[in-house]
Amino acid sequence: MKKVDTIGGRDLREMFAAATDWLEKSAPDIDALNVFPVPDGDCGTNMLLTMRSVIDEAYRAPDNSASAVAQAIARGALMGARGNSGVILSQIWRGLAQDLEGKESVNGSDLADALVQASIMAYKGLSNPVEGTILTVIKDVASAAQAQAVSGNSDLLSVMEATVSAASESVANTPSLLPVLREAGVVDAGGQGLYTILEGALHYLKGEIEQMQFRRPQIIVSDIRTAKLPVMVTEEEEPYGYCTEFMLKGQEFDPEKIRQRLVKKGESLIVVGDGSTVRIHIHTLDPGNIIRYATSLGTLHQVSIRNMDEQHQDYLEMQKARMPAVDTAIVAVVAGDGLCDVFTSLGVTAIVPGGQTMNPSTKELLQAVELVASDKVIILPNNKNIVLTAEQVQSLTDKQVKVVPTETVPRGIAALLAFDYEADLETNAEIMEKAKSVVKTIEITRAIRSAQLDGLKIRKKQVIGLLDGDLLAAGNNAIDVLNKILAKLDLKKTEIITIYYGADAESAEAEQVCNSLREQYPHLQVEVVRGGQPHYDYIVSVE
Amino acid sequence: MTVKIVTDSLSDITSDIAEGLGITIVPLTVIFGRESFLDRVTMSTDEFYDRLIHGTVWPTTTQPAPAAFAEVLTELAKETDEILVVTVSSKLSGTYQSALSAKGMVEKKCRIEVIDALTVAMGLGLIVISAAKAAQKGANLDKLIELVRQATTRSHFIAYFDTLKYLAKGGRIGKASALLGSVISVKPMLTVKDGEMAPLTRMRSLAAGMDYLYNFVAGISNIEELAVEHTTTPDEADRLVERLGSVFPKERIYRSTVSPVLGTYGGPGAMALTVLEAAAK
Repeated sequence: MKKVDTIGGRDLREMFAAATDWLEKSAPDIDALNVFPVPDGDCGTNMLLTMRSVIDEAYRAPDNSASAVAQAIARGALMGARGNSGVILSQIWRGLAQDLEGKESVNGSDLADALVQASIMAYKGLSNPVEGTILTVIKDVASAAQAQAVSGNSDLLSVMEATVSAASESVANTPSLLPVLREAGVVDAGGQGLYTILEGALHYLKGEIEQMQFRRPQIIVSDIRTAKLPVMVTEEEEPYGYCTEFMLKGQEFDPEKIRQRLVKKGESLIVVGDGSTVRIHIHTLDPGNIIRYATSLGTLHQVSIRNMDEQHQDYLEMQKARMPAVDTAIVAVVAGDGLCDVFTSLGVTAIVPGGQTMNPSTKELLQAVELVASDKVIILPNNKNIVLTAEQVQSLTDKQVKVVPTETVPRGIAALLAFDYEADLETNAEIMEKAKSVVKTIEITRAIRSAQLDGLKIRKKQVIGLLDGDLLAAGNNAIDVLNKILAKLDLKKTEIITIYYGADAESAEAEQVCNSLREQYPHLQVEVVRGGQPHYDYIVSVE
Repeated sequence: MTVKIVTDSLSDITSDIAEGLGITIVPLTVIFGRESFLDRVTMSTDEFYDRLIHGTVWPTTTQPAPAAFAEVLTELAKETDEILVVTVSSKLSGTYQSALSAKGMVEKKCRIEVIDALTVAMGLGLIVISAAKAAQKGANLDKLIELVRQATTRSHFIAYFDTLKYLAKGGRIGKASALLGSVISVKPMLTVKDGEMAPLTRMRSLAAGMDYLYNFVAGISNIEELAVEHTTTPDEADRLVERLGSVFPKERIYRSTVSPVLGTYGGPGAMALTVLEAAAK
């Protein structure tokens, strides 16, 4: 296939123009990625507007050298930067331009070097750089470009391909670095924007302008486990304040000094620029204060003050529209952080803490039912002592409530798994009830006192095992007891055994249990998950 | 004159069936780094899945250029004055857009209609097959348009995934992202809703997934066409066909392999089932 070794200023400009067109197609999708209180509910739009200013200015470059075009690009970015991500983007182009200064054309290693400088400049603009954002993406891009430049294939196209693929991976990884992204289950919007720009540039280099017309950039979806939050406590609304940004023109500015002056006045502060032009972006509760200070230094331009609480509302609406239209909410009673994770990862709407020795009250369950944003609710009690309490809720609320009487945690998980996104409340209650009944539950705990029960002689603190609530075995250790119970089951039709180990159990022991089961029953799929539940060292699901 | 039927390679219609029913298939492209291949034409499914599993380069895909459609349409316009193009959902691919813009590029006078089937794989395939059969029996273009519009409401597509990694990485996951990120191992079941991938439910095992597919078919009384396809597990898919033989004539079940372009998103171990319900009499 073709190789592109170098490009001059003309191509550089056209490449940026193609990248801007590509970004334009994706801007609304990128807007929708925004996670509050990460700033700027319209990150895609802001980056696009910044890029448009870049292109306008690029056409005003005094000559067609790569250097002149790059300087124009940097100038355009600084003048037109909007929003947090726009300002960081302007820093990136500024770094790029610094490194390309004096260059007639750009080859693979020039690009790699320039991206390194771009990365350095991006970090420089911020008083408090946060990883898992566009910053991490430019950093990863820069190092991938460098690695490619010293490899055998160091032509411009190869370097650009390496940067795009690194950007894609880096964006996909942002949720693992930034908890707020993980909670919302999205990748970083600014990072996605940068990736889209680089991808557009790559399309240009490959000569795919024609094809781009009919295609759309894709939003990267991370396969990192997201923890969508089923919260119980009603959260206090915290004010987000005003997103304040403007350009300051004058003489003999010291951006560093301005930053120090403003750093305590708000969040997400960015101050970038030079002696005569400085761009400022800050989230503050008192924009007047900032403006007053800035007016004392020079003249203000492109002033924008936006109410972020309003943006937040818009954002919530947008997020709602993007979620699957599930009108049935699920409330589950769960104890143990690990088990909460399991239920959360399977899409439960709300969790009421509780279980064997901490039965929640009807009132607590009712509160949860009233709290969820749906009129149709399914309750999973996950303990046979809670089923009745849960059923009380039905008569206390106007909402339609169904209780799927899951007697144990594994049965609750089986029921939740079987939830059908296309079915209505009644049908789902039926499907879930059917699904829970095929699961057998083994619980392993310690006897609280000596006893003689069901023909078993039990010493205090001895390990005991229950099958679907019936005491069935006692022994010296968990493996021993579990085996005794499994021996009583017909495992021919069993496929999966899942072991949830409790707060007091060791993960090493759990692995041991798991390995011994795998050896004994090679046809079974055995899985170990940290449940973190109290009292029961092991809860085992046999299905 | 018989109406000519055109679709894209995401219909997963095998070349034998296409030939028999006079269906013209326009291929999409699958790209591994700097090598690009025409879906099912210059790259076989076996070759593709081998590279997908063992290769180091992650494939990407691209829709047919309008020119590719225009070429096919121009050629067909020599033999007929009515052509029906049925494409994969416009929400999953730009193929529909390409076909639409190709319409204007055909010089000879010929009526060409392009329909977005709002579904994918054999979901699309069975609709196209149904239309091709009607065309062979002499249905005119207006009738076929009506038939296809109608068939899209009678088509049920369910896909079993071993993993959603490929779908997520390819950016086509849509609302099915609700099924991502489970702490315990699950097998997601997806459908297509309003042209996009949507969550259906999840299973703990392959066997449970196959039971679900079987029960789904068994629950439908009036089946016009039935299709089963796989990415890398032909034996599992064959076993499902055997089982389905008890509720629908086995020899009438279309058996196909998911095309490379779709396999890019389905990944290894995926299987799909499509039921085209018969129209109410």
